[in-house]
Amino acid sequence: MDKKIKIVTVKLGLDIHWRGIVVLSRMLRDAGMEVVYLGNQFPEQIVEAAIQEGADVIGLSTLGGNHMSLGPKVVELLREKGIDDIMVIMGGVIPEEDVPALKEKGIAEVFGPETKVDSIVSFVESELEKENVK
Amino acid sequence: MGQLFNKEAIEEIKKEKARWKEETLKDKSGDKEYFTDSGIPMDLLYTPADIEDMDYLKDNGFSGESPFTRGVYPNMYRGRLFTVRQIAGFGGPEDTNERFKFLLNNGATGTSVVLDLPTIRGYDSDDKEAEGHVGAAGVAIDSLDDMEALYDGIPIDEISTNIVTHLPSTTVVLMAMFAALAEKRDIPLEKLSGTNQNDFLMETAIGSSLEILPPKHCFRLQCDAIEYASQNLPRWNPVSYNGYNLREAGTTAIQEVACALANAIATTEELIRRGNNVDAFAKRLSFFWNLFNDFFEEIAKCRASRIVYKEIMEDRFNAEEKKSKLMRFHVQTGGITLTKVEPYNNIARSAIQGLAATLGGAQSLHIDSFDEAYSAPTEESALISIRTQQIIQAETNVVNTVDPLAGSYYVENLTNEMAKRIRNYIEEIEDKGGIVKVVESGWLHREISDFAYQMQQDIESGERKIVGLNHFPTEKSDTEVEVFRYPEEAEKRQKDKLEKLRNKRDSQEVEMKLNVLREKCHEDTNLMPYIKDAVKAYCTLGEIEEVFREEFGLWQFPLA
Amino acid sequence: MDKLMETFEKNDPVALGRVLKEVESQSEKGYEILKRTNKEKGKAHVIGITGPPGAGKSTLTSKLCKQLVNKGFTIGIICVDPTSPFTGGALLGDRIRMQELAKLPNVFIKSLATRGSLGGMAHSTADIVQLMDSFGKDIIIIETVGVGQVEFDVLEISDSVVLIGVPGLGDAIQTVKAGIMEIADIYVVNQADRPGADESVKDLKLMIKESERKDWKPSVLKTIATEQEGISELIDELERHKTHLITTKAWEKKRKERNYNRFVGRLDEIVHESVEGQFKTNPKTQSIIEQVKEGTMNPFSAANKIAEYIIKS
Repeated sequence: MDKKIKIVTVKLGLDIHWRGIVVLSRMLRDAGMEVVYLGNQFPEQIVEAAIQEGADVIGLSTLGGNHMSLGPKVVELLREKGIDDIMVIMGGVIPEEDVPALKEKGIAEVFGPETKVDSIVSFVESELEKENVK
Repeated sequence: MGQLFNKEAIEEIKKEKARWKEETLKDKSGDKEYFTDSGIPMDLLYTPADIEDMDYLKDNGFSGESPFTRGVYPNMYRGRLFTVRQIAGFGGPEDTNERFKFLLNNGATGTSVVLDLPTIRGYDSDDKEAEGHVGAAGVAIDSLDDMEALYDGIPIDEISTNIVTHLPSTTVVLMAMFAALAEKRDIPLEKLSGTNQNDFLMETAIGSSLEILPPKHCFRLQCDAIEYASQNLPRWNPVSYNGYNLREAGTTAIQEVACALANAIATTEELIRRGNNVDAFAKRLSFFWNLFNDFFEEIAKCRASRIVYKEIMEDRFNAEEKKSKLMRFHVQTGGITLTKVEPYNNIARSAIQGLAATLGGAQSLHIDSFDEAYSAPTEESALISIRTQQIIQAETNVVNTVDPLAGSYYVENLTNEMAKRIRNYIEEIEDKGGIVKVVESGWLHREISDFAYQMQQDIESGERKIVGLNHFPTEKSDTEVEVFRYPEEAEKRQKDKLEKLRNKRDSQEVEMKLNVLREKCHEDTNLMPYIKDAVKAYCTLGEIEEVFREEFGLWQFPLA
Repeated sequence: MDKLMETFEKNDPVALGRVLKEVESQSEKGYEILKRTNKEKGKAHVIGITGPPGAGKSTLTSKLCKQLVNKGFTIGIICVDPTSPFTGGALLGDRIRMQELAKLPNVFIKSLATRGSLGGMAHSTADIVQLMDSFGKDIIIIETVGVGQVEFDVLEISDSVVLIGVPGLGDAIQTVKAGIMEIADIYVVNQADRPGADESVKDLKLMIKESERKDWKPSVLKTIATEQEGISELIDELERHKTHLITTKAWEKKRKERNYNRFVGRLDEIVHESVEGQFKTNPKTQSIIEQVKEGTMNPFSAANKIAEYIIKS
């Protein structure tokens, strides 16, 4: 059987804009992924859910300006629990100049509001491929 | 009947049009099917035959008179230009107060404040849920203290105030704080003019969150605020039915208007049930539309919404006063139509949308800043938005004649078509039990999600063209745009202030006021007076909302 | 691996998550894990919850779980949602309907997609049940829409099956058609504040009366899950059913069957994989396959021939 990619998608914290993440979740399903949409959650619950679900990827969405404070915290919590095989990606309204800092803190990639779903899918697939080869 | 066109002339036009198609219109590229954004078929050329039944006095009439197709005020913009409103809100109340003063000094004619997420969602700045959000996408308001700082030095009895409260649960608290502030400054409540948003759809369908009150309770709070204002703040618009964010989330222009109207219908029914006369509150109901780029459709939407609203108020609820039947609305240009690529193009988009709002007869306008896809507006981008509105007002001359597109065969035809489809969609909602029920069942969420999903697919396939993105895609790398940074120390400042407040206030009184409110939650009574008592005792927003969460319980947002 | 199993023994939920991740993807490591954790405690009460979409399964599960946690139980929840036959993807939406459980201790939720594989779904669900049991979960709830064969097989893993319907005849007919009625031990009419609830209860009771089943007469309960009404009655009924299973020895029998089915299932898979592997690579079988395709050899003789050949080798 083909290895299925399981992704947990979530609105970060209190950010209310669900449109993007719900549409993305549906399109990731169309691309053959198994998507667990969490709604709004904070880092502790996100990490717990990703562990329980056995996720390969966590997709964080935010337009609420909390990307710097809450995004890296997800990676931090994963590391605290000794987990290094769950990739964290982010999307939403995130200023370009914050991207290097986010990546430095362990966010694998940051996608802007106009990203095609295809390119998110191929990024995730190729990154996970690399992981498997390792 | 005062039909404009005689039957014979119409028949002649129809015949001639057929001939023209055959003889002159040889280019078959005109045969491809075209649709408006809402899916209404578009003809290549419109004639009087497309509005053959038009009765001018009945369908159009004059501005300031029923059916208000041409506008709600007799002299429209000659009498009063649309209010130039620019939203401001970030950091603590002190930071936003400074921005208010900057905007007012540069020609803004009212204040409009946007709140941070913890405030909107009913948490104090020191609540765990607020972490990382304080002052980020709006200003943090925790208590009456903050309200005083926010409007410090601003003549709230002279200029109008807009508070983008979003949710009813936030509205009831902030409206109470605003009224309490006026009382502290010895300003009679009758002098307060302005608007707050107060739409239960925002709480239960448009925005998702961690903790959501059940729809019927959100709806109750929405009605409480409207009822209270109609009795105590006669110049205040206690609701702005929020089509805007429905549209941003994912609806057509038709659904946008229909959902907002369905909510207005439900509100009116509820307030009448409570014993209010329709004319006592209907004149203060206001609406909030989103204008995208389909220029004529958006204008037709504005006109059609006035027609349908008038029908509802007059035919269904027997409103008598003229003011109860005229729909006033605020417009904000479509945030979701703006692109991150080539951001300066957004100035052009917003200007076109702003022009449509003017031609549609909006009472006030907010033009989105071109850097919307980057961050909250900087001072520079906010100024460009104001300037765009001023250019429309002062340089284009469009404001000096009323509803100039009336009589256009296309615009009149489209206005009729929009009105018809809006009525049908309202009927569909009512067949399903009304606006509260379609939220409870998750039907509305699915409608929104399906539309947004389809739109994204159309953008990715290129069927829906967006310049710079999928149509003439940009070759430039990302433009350098100055990003607005909210003051990060705001969180600490708010927390410190809260700590001081909690120490200095009378904690027994706080407890007592909250307990009274708690009991009243279970009675068929308006909660506003009890909330006002609580804020005057310096109960915080978070404390009051916690009472709601405990007493009303939480509701699970349906997966869309 | 040793370290993982060590932390698993220590009841670290992170380890449970990792272990289940391997088992879910049916990896080699997953089977290694299963070999090493073969001491099913057999203690957990496995409850299947099923019913048509929109009946309120997730809400009911969520409220049920909340009360059980308050009573001191540790809970595992397995939510099974269908994989799209067109895209192979799935939107696993049950977890969000149980958002209120996110902050509770001792609740572990796992969402699974059916993936449409050869009965493999039911086996990996059974494996996950076993691991949750070994981990020490007192109650394991399997929630699924009871429509397809895959879901039906999944439900058969449970000790007690709860079938949820909502007032109105349509749903009842639908579920009868699906054959799910036969395996339910408890019927729940949810959203019982809606008109037609009493009629639904009456219809169900009549149907039970007419059924052939002798060992256990299912009861019919009314709930309003959103208001938490009827949940404690449901818990009592589940307890009663569990006692019934134990006293009639059905409890033990169920576990033996489950073990046997998992063994047969795995054996099937191994045989299938090795057969498939062989006739895809072996040149001799290739020519037989070609002849079948061309119609020069009949498929039945060909199948026998290849089976014989492979089993002998």
